[in-house]
Amino acid sequence: MAQQRAAAQSQPATDEPEQEEKAPDTKLYEELGELARFIDTTMKTLSEFSTPVSTSTEQLPQALSHLTNLKTMTEQGTHRVMLEVEAIQDNHLKLSGMIKELTLALQKTQAAPALLQQMQAISDTIGADDKRLLDIMTALSFQDLVAQSLNKLVTILQEVEHKLLQLVVVFGPYQKQAAKQEQDKASQMLKQLEATKNTSMDQDLADEILKQFGFN
Amino acid sequence: MPADPNMKILVVDDMSTMRRIVKNILKQLGFNNLEEAENGQEALTKLKADTYGFVVSDWNMPVMMGIDMLRAIRADESLKKIPVLMVTAEAQKENLMEAVQAGVSNYVVKPFTAETMQDKINKIFK
Repeated sequence: MAQQRAAAQSQPATDEPEQEEKAPDTKLYEELGELARFIDTTMKTLSEFSTPVSTSTEQLPQALSHLTNLKTMTEQGTHRVMLEVEAIQDNHLKLSGMIKELTLALQKTQAAPALLQQMQAISDTIGADDKRLLDIMTALSFQDLVAQSLNKLVTILQEVEHKLLQLVVVFGPYQKQAAKQEQDKASQMLKQLEATKNTSMDQDLADEILKQFGFN
Repeated sequence: MPADPNMKILVVDDMSTMRRIVKNILKQLGFNNLEEAENGQEALTKLKADTYGFVVSDWNMPVMMGIDMLRAIRADESLKKIPVLMVTAEAQKENLMEAVQAGVSNYVVKPFTAETMQDKINKIFK
């Protein structure tokens, strides 16, 4: 950009050699003209990036969709594991009740102490496994942290999409040497984009902007 | 006074997996009267419609954040004495200070264990 500015500055607006001979308003006018040429050159250069920018913009909804699917899939997978854990927990509850009844029945029949010790060992093992099941359950909270990170990524991508669409709108008419009518349309779209700045991007608006500037 | 195992507990979180985890932990700790809400607004509606002994709430939620729900609970004469345990991924000191100033009963940072939950409940209902 510095080079472009230097190039723009190297082209004098007039052939008059001495600036101090000019009236202040003439000098200001010439400087404004020089600045306008610099902006024009810069805009033309930047407009060359319009096609790759629009391609990236077109792919962003797909990326957003992948992230949303990822969140849904981790959520579904987590619920599936939870369902199995809860089923085992329920079975353990039933088994613990049965072991308690059996132990009482064995105590009434004055069963051998070794038999009662085995019943106690079974009960202890179930208790230890219950602890492991609870650990599995709490470990599944990773899904919540993943979902929060994915939500943040979605927000960032929506912001990037918004900015890229603004670039397409700004440089689209410039690249195509559009008529005033198209530039008015671009101005209108910029206003619509600004209105959606703090909300999720309306996909219809994004599609319309890309279509308007020849990216279907 | 130890926590009443029959008291009604409201679990507030926008993520269905976290509601299920917290409810499972509370169930394993002996609490069976468990209800849930997806955000602070829904929680306030449920709290006003019934009698609850304890609230376990997430911090980040759509519609109404946990901290705003906490402030609303403390500002409501009929709800202000309900203990509120805040569960959050936000471990920043500022958030903790904000929650304490808003009247939180205790604070758990995700990911947490059943032992941590038990410890916090014991401290709230000691």
